[in-house]
Amino acid sequence: MTTTTMHPLAADYLDRLEHAARRLPRGERRELVEDISAHLTEATNANMSDAEALTVLDRLGDPEEIVDAQLPEEPYRVDRRGAHEWAAIFLLLFGGFLFFVGWVAGLILLWSSRAWNARDKVIGTLIVPGGLATVLPLMVVTGSTQHCVSLNGGPQRCTGGPSTVHNILSIVLLVFLILGPICTSVYLARRAR
Amino acid sequence: MVAIGEGVISQLRRGVLEFCVLALLRDDERYGFEIVRALSEANGLVTTEGTVYPLLARLRKEGVVETTWRESPSGPPRRYYRLTPAGRSLLDAFMTEWSRFRDSVDNLLQTGALT
Repeated sequence: MTTTTMHPLAADYLDRLEHAARRLPRGERRELVEDISAHLTEATNANMSDAEALTVLDRLGDPEEIVDAQLPEEPYRVDRRGAHEWAAIFLLLFGGFLFFVGWVAGLILLWSSRAWNARDKVIGTLIVPGGLATVLPLMVVTGSTQHCVSLNGGPQRCTGGPSTVHNILSIVLLVFLILGPICTSVYLARRAR
Repeated sequence: MVAIGEGVISQLRRGVLEFCVLALLRDDERYGFEIVRALSEANGLVTTEGTVYPLLARLRKEGVVETTWRESPSGPPRRYYRLTPAGRSLLDAFMTEWSRFRDSVDNLLQTGALT
């Protein structure tokens, strides 16, 4: 890069541009910095006054604005969420309560929709298979291991209850099984927009 | 007097800018700085010169211009831009459309009626 004849303010501008351009792919970033660097080499020199150099930089514009112009324009957004997509989201979340068949129907709707890409579909399938209904068997298992006896009408003694570690793990799993499907539904609804 | 929103003008400018670049290259190849300054000096076409470079990169990617490096008499080599045959056809097509569009709008603005 030739910065020998460039004004110091221009060199500083170029640093800011390089920083702003970090969000671009490497090839585009290099080309943009090269182009602006060539522009500054043409338009400024080390002997010009600060005021003259600042005028050149003002005309060039803010580095962020130049990088924004390099980014692809936001495509015109169409809401792709029709009855098909809403049904898929609803069934993935609650369909498991219908003997699991509802969730499978939701899965078919998910994979047949064009509103989501493959990654969204994999997320929708794996987090969490069965949707909210998956939490039910877990609640039954954790609630059934404790045995309590009362001898001769004395105070009740309980044995076989879950350990503290077991309790914590159950709560974490419970939270995941409830929040996972809800977050996935929100994610799918947003991605289809 | 009612002011026209800056958004309207900048949209119009954005819509025609790439064809202005192609028109600048119709007869001769030019290097980036030359193109940017020519657009900047045409009243109101470019407000931030730096944003022309991403446009030039896009035109190259689309195959309507191509580039060559040439030595400069002063300083580092320059990237020169010139029209490709596809760019020339695009410019011709735009010129036909533009004169039709301009005539319709002019006529409507002046007479308040469509021809």
